[in-house]
Amino acid sequence: MFENTKLPEGMNPETLEHLMDPKNYGKLENPSCVGVAVDEKTGEYVIFYTQLEGDMIKDAKYATNGCQDTVVIGSMFSEMIIANNIDYAQGAIKKMHEKLGVMSQQQQVCADIVFSAFIASMINYEHKQEGKEEEMHVLKMKESCEGENIHE
Amino acid sequence: MNSLYKNKHELWLHITFASFAINDEEIKARLYEFSLIAFRHMKWLGADILKDGDDYNYDRDMKLFKRQSVFEVLHALMKEVNNTSALYPQSVLGKRMRTDDDYLLEYLSQILHNETNNKEVTAFNMKRKWLDKSLAQEQIDALTMFLFEESYKEYELILVYAYMQARTENVLEFSIFQDLIDESHFHLKSFGNMMAKMGILALPRELHAMTYVIKDLEKFVTDGIAEEKAAKEMCRELSDAIKDEELSKFFDFINYQESYHIELMKKLL
Repeated sequence: MFENTKLPEGMNPETLEHLMDPKNYGKLENPSCVGVAVDEKTGEYVIFYTQLEGDMIKDAKYATNGCQDTVVIGSMFSEMIIANNIDYAQGAIKKMHEKLGVMSQQQQVCADIVFSAFIASMINYEHKQEGKEEEMHVLKMKESCEGENIHE
Repeated sequence: MNSLYKNKHELWLHITFASFAINDEEIKARLYEFSLIAFRHMKWLGADILKDGDDYNYDRDMKLFKRQSVFEVLHALMKEVNNTSALYPQSVLGKRMRTDDDYLLEYLSQILHNETNNKEVTAFNMKRKWLDKSLAQEQIDALTMFLFEESYKEYELILVYAYMQARTENVLEFSIFQDLIDESHFHLKSFGNMMAKMGILALPRELHAMTYVIKDLEKFVTDGIAEEKAAKEMCRELSDAIKDEELSKFFDFINYQESYHIELMKKLL
C-alpha cells in the first residue's frame, strides 16, 4: 500500500509540489484531538490536528516552524492517513520509518517529530475519552536523534 | 480576531508576490514599493487594533495568483485591492489606506493600457532553470531547498519581529526590531525573485500562533541566534557548492549580513 510513496530524497516533481503547496497545512477548526511534538533545544515543533469519526480519520492538518523536510513529510503523511483508520495510520508510520532508513539522520528526526505529533494527538484523544480535560497533548523530543526519541 | 487585518496581511502578500512574479524590472520595482506601503498599513492597523483593546493574528486564507501572463496577475491583484479597500474604516488611517490603494489601482490601470506590458509569467513553470547560468542538477537542488527554507524563514522573521515590535514599549527593542524587519524584507525580496527566476515561486506557509506569540524573549533570541548561525552555514555551503562566481558572491554577501543580524539580536538580550 505504500510502495509508490516517494520520500523527499532528491528533488522529484512530487516533492517539489509538496514544497510549493504543502497539503493539509494549517489548523482544523473543531478537531477531535490535538498533539504537539516539540524539540525544546531548538524550539522546533509540529502541531497535529486530527478529526475522528469512530476510528476513521476524517480530516487532519498540521503546522510547524521546522524545516522543509518536516513540511514535506507532514504533507505526505497527512495525505496518506486521511480517510483511513487509526490502525492504518500506525502502519503508515511503521512503513515510512522503514523507507526513511535510507535517509539522513536529520531527515529521520524531521519524520519523527511529525509522527510524534500525530501520536500525541491520539494520546490527547484517549485522554478526552477518559474524561480528562486536556487542550492538547505535548510530547518532548530528545536532543539526540538516535534510538527512541520520545518521552513525556 | 480582526478580519480587516487578515485581509490587509493577504493584500501585502499578494502585492509582494505579484512583484516577484513579474519579470519586467520597472513594474517589479514599482509593485515592490507598493508592497512596502501595504506592510506599513499593516503595522499601523495593528497598532490601532491593540490601542482599541482588540487583537489580531496572522491567519490567512489565500492562494497565490499563479497566472500565465502579467495582465492576468494584475487583474487578479486589482480585484484583491478593491475587496480590501472596501473594508477600510472611516478614520484617518482608513482614508490614508484608501488613497494609497486608489493610486495603486491607477498605476495598475496604466500598465494594463499598454499591451506591450502583457508578457508571459514564468515564475510558476517549475522548470528550475537559471536561464543565463549552467548549474549542475545537485546545485539546482541545493539552491531550491535553500530558497524554500529561507524564504519561509524571512517571512516568519518579518511577522514575528513585527508582532513583538507592536507590543514593546522599550525604544531600543522597537528600533532593533525595525532594523531586523527591514533586513528580512530585503532577504525575502532577494529569495522571492530568485524563486521566480527558477519558476518555483510559492507563498511561504502560514504561521501558527505557537511561532509568533513569544512568551520568553530571551529564549526566542537565543534560538534565533542559533538559527542565524545555521543560516550563515547554509549560505557558506551553498556558496561553496555553486560553481558560479556571481551567485557565490551573492551568498557570501547574505552570509555577512546574517553576521550583523546576530549582533543586532544580541542587543535584545
